[in-house]
Amino acid sequence: MNCRHAALLVAAAVDGELRPLQALSLRRHVARCPACAQQQASLRALRERVQAEVPRHTAPPEFRARLAATLDAAAADAPRRPRPAEGRWRWLLGGALAGCAATVTAWFVATAVIDGRAGENLAVEAVNVHVRATLGSQLIQVASSDQHTVKPWLSARLDYSPPVRDYAADGFELVGGRIDYLDRHPVATLVYRYRLHNIDVFVRPQTAHGGAAPLRSLRGFNLVRGDAADMEWIAVSDVAPDVLATLVERIVKDAAGP
Amino acid sequence: MPHLDAAYNLARWLTRDVHDAEDVVQDACVRALRYLASLQGSDARAWLLTIVRNAFYDWLARNRPAEVVQVGDDAMEAIVDVAAVDPQQAALRSAETRALADAVAELPLQFREVLVLREIEGLSYKEIAQVAGIPMGTVMSRLARARALLQRSPMLRAIGGGGGVATRSVR
Repeated sequence: MNCRHAALLVAAAVDGELRPLQALSLRRHVARCPACAQQQASLRALRERVQAEVPRHTAPPEFRARLAATLDAAAADAPRRPRPAEGRWRWLLGGALAGCAATVTAWFVATAVIDGRAGENLAVEAVNVHVRATLGSQLIQVASSDQHTVKPWLSARLDYSPPVRDYAADGFELVGGRIDYLDRHPVATLVYRYRLHNIDVFVRPQTAHGGAAPLRSLRGFNLVRGDAADMEWIAVSDVAPDVLATLVERIVKDAAGP
Repeated sequence: MPHLDAAYNLARWLTRDVHDAEDVVQDACVRALRYLASLQGSDARAWLLTIVRNAFYDWLARNRPAEVVQVGDDAMEAIVDVAAVDPQQAALRSAETRALADAVAELPLQFREVLVLREIEGLSYKEIAQVAGIPMGTVMSRLARARALLQRSPMLRAIGGGGGVATRSVR
């Protein structure tokens, strides 16, 4: 085992996430490697301090009471239509096996609902973010036309490093970047200016469910999506769709490599 | 109600505010209402935490689109990438004594959430992956990054420096 491999396992060992065999080979490596031994000790120490000094907040009793009242009211408000279903529900829960099944079903239903909604709402969300940023003062958090300033700024705040390029020669001037929240994840936003229009380009690693419509328009804004090299770009602006598509094509071409 | 403390704790660390945390938990519970009665066991906890996290991001988009940024600008600078920080400011910061809990509170959101779920809520990598909707590998890399940021934070510099923590806490 080399140190690069060990580094991954050290954290997992501290978290108790190693399989016995992995743990054994890690122990052998750590016994011979002072650097990895030190890293392991350091992570253990950090963890002990975090667990000792960082509090777990508990719900205050007043809040508990208020919440219970709210939930009771909400439950009372809910239509009592599903009476028969409720009876079946209870019957289902009667068996231990069925109980498990119910939990699993709830999981799947919830996940499916969350996934479906996220995919459907992505375009709406992207437009909302764009409008909010354009109206407010938060259009740009790091103002620079220098890609070497914008890229590290974004990378320091995300767990991926978005490609950043200026296309001033094509009329798309890079004016800065910011962090937004899209699809419930932080996302890098590159801000370009084309004539007097602002273009937001969201850059994120490709998601499993991805595959949104490549081109559409919504409330007068145009959206163009592109992907290459495991990254996904969503450009939003009020410029003409073909102009927006030109920018996305350039970006995707550069990302895909020569 | 099962797992309410877990829900509250997560909301509290995400919003970093008592009242906002209550709003988020309440919203999450109303959404989860139909299933609350069947919430038992640890799967249910992960499931409720997923809803809390979703409620939080929706709340964030509704209420604090601009504040998200200020977090990034002023608080994060203290811990994020040493190279990106003005050295003078870094020196000033390290002179301050900063509680570890504050350092956690100032982690960028995506690193804070995995750290809180792992270290305070005690979730497994798999459960964190479920709650945050990210692959296991991403859980591990975010956790590693969160810890590296904490180790590098002025208050904990001794840890990264040479295992001085044991002596530190004994003293």
